[in-house]
Amino acid sequence: MPLKTLKQETANALTLEWILHVKNYKLTLNKGYCVGCQICTLACPKEAIKLVKHPKIQGEKAKKAKVDIDLAKCNFCGICDILCPYGAIKISVNGEHLLSVVEKESFPQLVRDIQVDASKFPAGDMKCEESCPLNLIYITRLTPDGNIVKNLKSIPRKDRKKLQVKIDVEKERCPCCRVCEFKCPEGVMHIRKFIHGKIFIHTNKCPEGCTDCLDVCPITGALYYSDEDKKVHPDEMFCIYCGACKVVCPVEEALELKRTKIIHTPVSSGAWNKALEKLASPIEISKELKAKGSQKAFSSVEKRLGWKSA
Amino acid sequence: MATEKIKVEEPRIGVFVCHCGLNIAGVLDIKELLDYSKTLPNVVFVKDNRYTCADPGQEEIRKAIKEHKLNRVIVAACSPRMHEPTFRRTVSDVDLNPFLFEMANIREFSSWCHSSTPKEATEKAKDLIKMAVAKSRLLQPLQTIEVPVTNKALVIGGGIAGMNAALDLAEMGFKVYLLEKGESIGGHMAQLDKTFPTLDCSICIEGPKMVDVGRHPNIKIIANADLINVSGFIGNFKVKIRKNPRYVIAENCTGCGECKEICPIEYPNEWDMNLGVRKAISVPFDQAVPLVYTINKDYCIECFKCVDACGARQAINFEQQHEEIEIDVGAIVVATGYDIYMPYDNSLLGYGKYTNVITSLEFERLILAAGPTGGKVVRASDGQKPHSIAFIQCVGSRDKNKYPYCSNFCCMYTLKHVVQLKEKYKQDVEVYVFYMDMRSNFKGYEEFYDRARESSVNFIRGRVSQILEVPETKNLLIHTEDMTLGQPIEIEAEMVVLATAAIPKKGTDEIARILNVTRGADGFFMESHPKLKPIDAPTDGVFFAGACQGLKDIPYSVSQGSGAASRAATVLSKPKWKIEPIVSVIDATKCRNVNSKCGICAERCPYGSIKVEEKKAAEVITAMCHGCGTCVAECPADAITQMHFTGAQIFAQIRAALETNPEEKILAFLCNWCSYAGADLAGTSRFEYPPTIRPIRVMCSGRVDRDFVLEALRLGAGMVLIGACHLPYDCHYISGNWKMKARMDALAPMLNKLGLSPERFRVEYVSAAEGVKFAEVVREMTAQLKALGKDKIKAENEKLRPVLENMLKRKEKK
Repeated sequence: MPLKTLKQETANALTLEWILHVKNYKLTLNKGYCVGCQICTLACPKEAIKLVKHPKIQGEKAKKAKVDIDLAKCNFCGICDILCPYGAIKISVNGEHLLSVVEKESFPQLVRDIQVDASKFPAGDMKCEESCPLNLIYITRLTPDGNIVKNLKSIPRKDRKKLQVKIDVEKERCPCCRVCEFKCPEGVMHIRKFIHGKIFIHTNKCPEGCTDCLDVCPITGALYYSDEDKKVHPDEMFCIYCGACKVVCPVEEALELKRTKIIHTPVSSGAWNKALEKLASPIEISKELKAKGSQKAFSSVEKRLGWKSA
Repeated sequence: MATEKIKVEEPRIGVFVCHCGLNIAGVLDIKELLDYSKTLPNVVFVKDNRYTCADPGQEEIRKAIKEHKLNRVIVAACSPRMHEPTFRRTVSDVDLNPFLFEMANIREFSSWCHSSTPKEATEKAKDLIKMAVAKSRLLQPLQTIEVPVTNKALVIGGGIAGMNAALDLAEMGFKVYLLEKGESIGGHMAQLDKTFPTLDCSICIEGPKMVDVGRHPNIKIIANADLINVSGFIGNFKVKIRKNPRYVIAENCTGCGECKEICPIEYPNEWDMNLGVRKAISVPFDQAVPLVYTINKDYCIECFKCVDACGARQAINFEQQHEEIEIDVGAIVVATGYDIYMPYDNSLLGYGKYTNVITSLEFERLILAAGPTGGKVVRASDGQKPHSIAFIQCVGSRDKNKYPYCSNFCCMYTLKHVVQLKEKYKQDVEVYVFYMDMRSNFKGYEEFYDRARESSVNFIRGRVSQILEVPETKNLLIHTEDMTLGQPIEIEAEMVVLATAAIPKKGTDEIARILNVTRGADGFFMESHPKLKPIDAPTDGVFFAGACQGLKDIPYSVSQGSGAASRAATVLSKPKWKIEPIVSVIDATKCRNVNSKCGICAERCPYGSIKVEEKKAAEVITAMCHGCGTCVAECPADAITQMHFTGAQIFAQIRAALETNPEEKILAFLCNWCSYAGADLAGTSRFEYPPTIRPIRVMCSGRVDRDFVLEALRLGAGMVLIGACHLPYDCHYISGNWKMKARMDALAPMLNKLGLSPERFRVEYVSAAEGVKFAEVVREMTAQLKALGKDKIKAENEKLRPVLENMLKRKEKK
């Protein structure tokens, strides 16, 4: 019998559903969080995700590409959920966020290495919270008697040192761009990127005055416009290589983007190899496999000799 | 005049006139017949017998053949449908080829139906003998064709019918290939919870049978495979099968299920009617046979965790490809089963729109303990047990706008469902059944109906007009007319179960095309004869079992499976299969296809037994030819001959019949199976009709060439009649009657335009049971003949003759 399926699109979300008598699978794409990058499109094992580009209107800013998912192809595996750097896609089963590919260790998770040292945070600092381009940092200040400070200005400067500070980061949505690391007081934030790569804009090909890539880039500072040559330049320091810029770049080969390494939990999986191959390049997987291979060899030696890993 | 090319020797004909006690001799003047016979050309011996079919009578024939060197024998007695085989054996006892024997039917066609006019009856009998002599002079010896038989069988479809057919054949010692499209055998029965009327668990009784099939040394299951092509003929079929990849090597898979445990991906299980899910590597249900896992690549993400889990068994192969295999079999049993109609297109019942409206098969999966809910009947909208359930019968079935037929088992399974519900939930559930008629007409079924009636279920007679949903509660409002009350009523239920029609399995049309078998108006396969050959397909060597031929419940499907097995064994048990040599033969020198593109014969052959290749003469695959002769009549170059019913023989019969007083006669061409048998019945029933008719027997009305009609009219026949099997499905050669109809529908207006009174050329459909009708037709035609008058007919004939002669010129040349 044909399956009862549902696809709904609103201004804020796209939802896909399989409605079975006893089970309900749901995929929700938060359009506010989605930046129209390439990651899910490339990584989807069923090639169910497509990017729909908006036609460029002269004189207006470029718009991020729209993600569309084919209900007939989607198998609700959750790989897009895992890999979205911005946490825009969520898969749920019977209403619960559930990723069986993670549970069954058949797909790794991204490693978001975000270390926060609140002790080094001067309670009076105001910039850190605002530094996050995606507004994912929440700083809570507590008075010694445990009350939440609502208005920092009401506290005299000298008393501010006594305040206790709690820093919360919405990790699931953090693309680890490291902007906060530089903008917050030294030593407070320590971030490691999970996507490594290279971005390069060929100035000879890049059209003068065009800022399409900059318009869609969600990370403030990863791209900047130079008044000198009237062109956009990348800043490798903050770029997370999501590729939203490349999607909208009007000139072929003007913007070169290469992902070389993705930091993930140690899970060996054919599906991951395939995703990596598409996200990075076959060379990168062979590198990774080689590294894993040696690890495997090591662990087998370990087993044979009865060593116990420390 | 037409003469045969191969004339072995000058015919020496012996005519034996039978008294049949007083059956013939009581009406006809036997002496006159004998004297007359003597005068006919090539007749060298005549003799009368009291009972020719009795041993002394047969002995006299044998003696005469030897003494008088007879090389043709004619028995003027009863219908050839009665004793032709007897006398064929008699003459072959003394080494006369049985096809040099001919019968003149002077009992059923003369003495029995014209007893009040003995003089005219004798005249008619004379004509009948004359016609037989004319044909006899041109008869040729024929050899029965023998083809070798491959004693293996193919069973298509591994449901309960197919499994039984396979098991029975295997037990008889034949090798059986059991082809199954799905991943496992078992069919619909494996989906069911309990079976009516005994309420025994379906898989508990079918499971062991599935295991038996899987383990039987004579059965090879080819599952997850499609039928691609079948060529050849009875005893010698070549079958091409495509095995679809499972991505699991069947030989290495132990069915342990470790791969399934590790697999992260789930997808809707079609076998569970999509109520539940299965893994991307899995079996559709635990009892599957063969127990080989399958990867569904539509859903698999290729993480290869299963490969790790399988480990040293190395059963998983993602590179597996389609594989085509070819097998040789002698007989084929088709058991492709049925599908369930999904009433999405019936907006009034709300299926697909309202969550709590489900089909019976979905309900079956819900109430099944091993089903996705563990046997709990719950609503999809809230996961709660409904407190009231309404069953609606005849959804799609018995509906003139959808499927006019009765689906046969829905009444019984609904009764089963209500009994199950009442046993499980007692007073906690209110049950309604909306029905038109309750059909419970097999062993133990009516008693089961009583049991349901006694279990406080509300049976409401009336067809449901509409179902509406209450948006807040997702309950359903059922609108119907209670026929007992004669009032419209509305009932609220928390769940609605639709007993939907069963329909031919998807792909039935493709199987029909491959096997060259026909389907009825309902889409199910057509059997060869609805009464006497209910299991045989019109194609020899192909048999039907189970619901593919018409909807059946389990016991009936099982018996038909066994029936098909025994029918197939009648072929498989023989080292050689004999074929009547009355087949078509193509004269390659005359075939038009050599020089231009023709292929009409191949296109018209109801059995696909003619092979036409470009620039080559068409070729008849003799073993597939059924001998209807349709191709002969259709061939524009007259390049085809039907053995034993050659053009020359039939022309000779026409001429003999119309030699004297043609204007007073009705020349008839009667097909062997229906209209000739109908005429026989008129005789055996002693229905009197005027002795005006001169019948010529052909195997099928499709054999009646338009030239036969033209020749009869050229010779001045008062009337011409063609008798055929009833349209649309009665023809014993699938569609010969249709081919004849098309031909004659074109001929009739042309003849009328040329000046022929329309009543003088008639096509009638007379079944073997319609003796009355046959007599009536002859009476009517004779009256018309009289009304027209001899003079008018003669005048018409004078006008027609030059045109007809012109049209027949190419015949004359031969």
